[in-house]
Amino acid sequence: MRVASIAIAVLALAACQRQVREVEVVDITPADLSSLGLPALSAYGFFVGPLHNLEPADGVWAYELNSPLFSDYAFKQRFVKIPRGSKVGYHDTEVLDFPEGSVLIKNFYYPADFRKPDGERRILETRLLIFEKGEWQALPYIWNEEQTEAYLDVAGRTVPVTWTHQDGVVRHVDYSIPNANQCRGCHLRGNKVVPIGPSVRQLNHVARGKIRSQLIEWQDRGLIDLPAGQDLPRLAAYEDMREPAEARARAWLEINCAHCHRPDGPGKTSGLHLLASVTDRAKLGIGKAPVAAGKGSGGRLYSIVPGQPDQSILQYRIESTHPGIMMPEVGRSVVHDEGVELVRKWIANLK
Amino acid sequence: MKPLTGLVILLAALFLLSCSATQDDISWKSIEKSLQTQFITAADGDTIELPAGHYQFTRSLTLDGKKNITVRGQGIDKTILSWHAQTEGAQGLQVSNGVNIVLEDFSLEDAKGDNLKVNDTRGITLRRIRSVWTAGPQTENGAYALYPVLCKQVLIEQCIAMGSSDAGIYVGQSDSVVIRNNKAYWNVAGIEAENSRYVEIYGNEAWENTGGLLVFDLPGLTQYGHTTRVYDNYLHDNNQINYAQKGNVVASIPPGSGMMILATHNIEVRNNKIENNRSVGIAIVSYELVAAINEGVEEQPHAIGGVQTVNNQFREDSLYNAFPYDVRIHHNQFKNSHWFPTVRSDIGQLLITKSFMQPPDVVFDGIPDPRQTERMICIHDNGDITFINLDAANDFKNLSKDVTAFKCPGGQAQR
Repeated sequence: MRVASIAIAVLALAACQRQVREVEVVDITPADLSSLGLPALSAYGFFVGPLHNLEPADGVWAYELNSPLFSDYAFKQRFVKIPRGSKVGYHDTEVLDFPEGSVLIKNFYYPADFRKPDGERRILETRLLIFEKGEWQALPYIWNEEQTEAYLDVAGRTVPVTWTHQDGVVRHVDYSIPNANQCRGCHLRGNKVVPIGPSVRQLNHVARGKIRSQLIEWQDRGLIDLPAGQDLPRLAAYEDMREPAEARARAWLEINCAHCHRPDGPGKTSGLHLLASVTDRAKLGIGKAPVAAGKGSGGRLYSIVPGQPDQSILQYRIESTHPGIMMPEVGRSVVHDEGVELVRKWIANLK
Repeated sequence: MKPLTGLVILLAALFLLSCSATQDDISWKSIEKSLQTQFITAADGDTIELPAGHYQFTRSLTLDGKKNITVRGQGIDKTILSWHAQTEGAQGLQVSNGVNIVLEDFSLEDAKGDNLKVNDTRGITLRRIRSVWTAGPQTENGAYALYPVLCKQVLIEQCIAMGSSDAGIYVGQSDSVVIRNNKAYWNVAGIEAENSRYVEIYGNEAWENTGGLLVFDLPGLTQYGHTTRVYDNYLHDNNQINYAQKGNVVASIPPGSGMMILATHNIEVRNNKIENNRSVGIAIVSYELVAAINEGVEEQPHAIGGVQTVNNQFREDSLYNAFPYDVRIHHNQFKNSHWFPTVRSDIGQLLITKSFMQPPDVVFDGIPDPRQTERMICIHDNGDITFINLDAANDFKNLSKDVTAFKCPGGQAQR
């Protein structure tokens, strides 16, 4: 009897703890997304064969970037659809000038074993940037578990993912699929949505197993006219150990930070500008006091203290996973170990 | 039934009772997915009604690029949006790139970063919003409770801000701002206007913050501030310890500061009641003093380099004026029941060692502006106040209590 009574007491306590954690989900309004885009990814006809093979249809081209954004170690497979007969306009430094009707298609997936990147994989989401009537629209599609279809969902979702890392260690993240506003949060320039990746500097890249830059291939297909007789500008590939350490660190900072931290980006309020082309030491954060960092400063006084990564706010924030401290603010829940190491070495060598 | 069994059952009942009596027992619900979808699909002119209840969010709730939207709760105590379970995003509620947005009648709680941030928006009204960190003053709390930045036409009224580890009601780099009839307590800075222009701050009560009300102009931002009227406010008992994160400008605010005017101009402060702040009622200071305080930080063991660079930067910025000027302080009521300045702040300790036993009503740092000698710092018709000119540039050698030098034409130094 005594045991039973104690059990009742324990149960009562357990019940009360569980009660705290349980959260009832309430639907306050039915959502109608039909005005935004097609409800299912397959309906666009970007791919032929089983959808999860991501086999591009006619007029849809695969491409890669020199330095990709870190997204919790997710792999990305990118495609661009250029309307037949249209050409992409060339630009030295900024994102290329895509013609009306272009679509950028970015698929996020995790191989089960990173040492076999072409083996079994799970696709989580496909993000579309559609250029219509002179404006880019961002549409997120979330894949079903059966990997047969992806559906338009603007509210985002968190999905637990497990994989075997390059070093053989099993890793786990709660992968966050952004909501449509979070898409805009990174892709907004002024008050317009724009692509971030596909600039000449990023696309001037020789893909695995190829010998020519993919831009030359684009030109051969009649997709772009490149300026003749000059070397095309190029952003370093931060994963390429053969590149200079400083160029790799600056490339990592550009793709992970400078979509906001640039003079016309949402991070302009901070006065910190991290495009790889910035040479002004104060704008880069060297000896710069924080503006509205709050606890994001971690008690450190300057964005970058030359030679002292552990006294630099920038290093503190890219090494944090606290939602109120970490940078970038969205798109990751774990630290990019290899990336922060690059930045650490760069700051340590700064004079 | 054995007595012992009865006791155990009684204990079990008590467990149940005690857990239902705590705040943890609030039945939290989630409207995150449907509300975020509604925010994304809202059309021009829509009103979005928030139901009554306690709702928790795991990521920032965002309203972006919308026009003429009203988001309305069922009342400050009825509709509670909380980010205590936040796993993603710095802000709680974020409004950006909007035109004519009204938020009213709900509460925001416990975001990891700022509870409410509004940026790049023309026309933003915050009305009867309570924005708090429920654990009270903690360094771990988010920076700002209500934070419009880079906005135009800002109205904040009848709001409550509590527990911000930086500033409660904080308007930055904005134009045409009205902050009226709000309450701010237990923040590091209660109310702060920073690098903003054409600002009216009136009818507010700020108490038990580290600093009650700040009008700041800082270097290196997208715009510089000026032209601010501060009247009919009640700034009292702002003696909270400074729990801001080191390295932020507000970390250098002395506990016990009623009001601080930093490096800005065309400022009028009138008809305020300023009481029982244990360091100073109103301080008028230049950025030089803030830099000097940071220099002190540098001299500590494990100090880091770079302060010199920062100093040089703001001195070489030709658009930035580090010195306050055109400041008129008149017809305010000062009262202090404290006998001694607080020893918690450097300035309080300094005042005690310099034998100014009562906390002063108005302090001017007295650091001369090399580019401007006639600065129109005017202090008059405030009754029989205690005033100190610190002469901070000369290590306080010529501290002076003479306010008559600051009465300006037309003003009466003392009644």
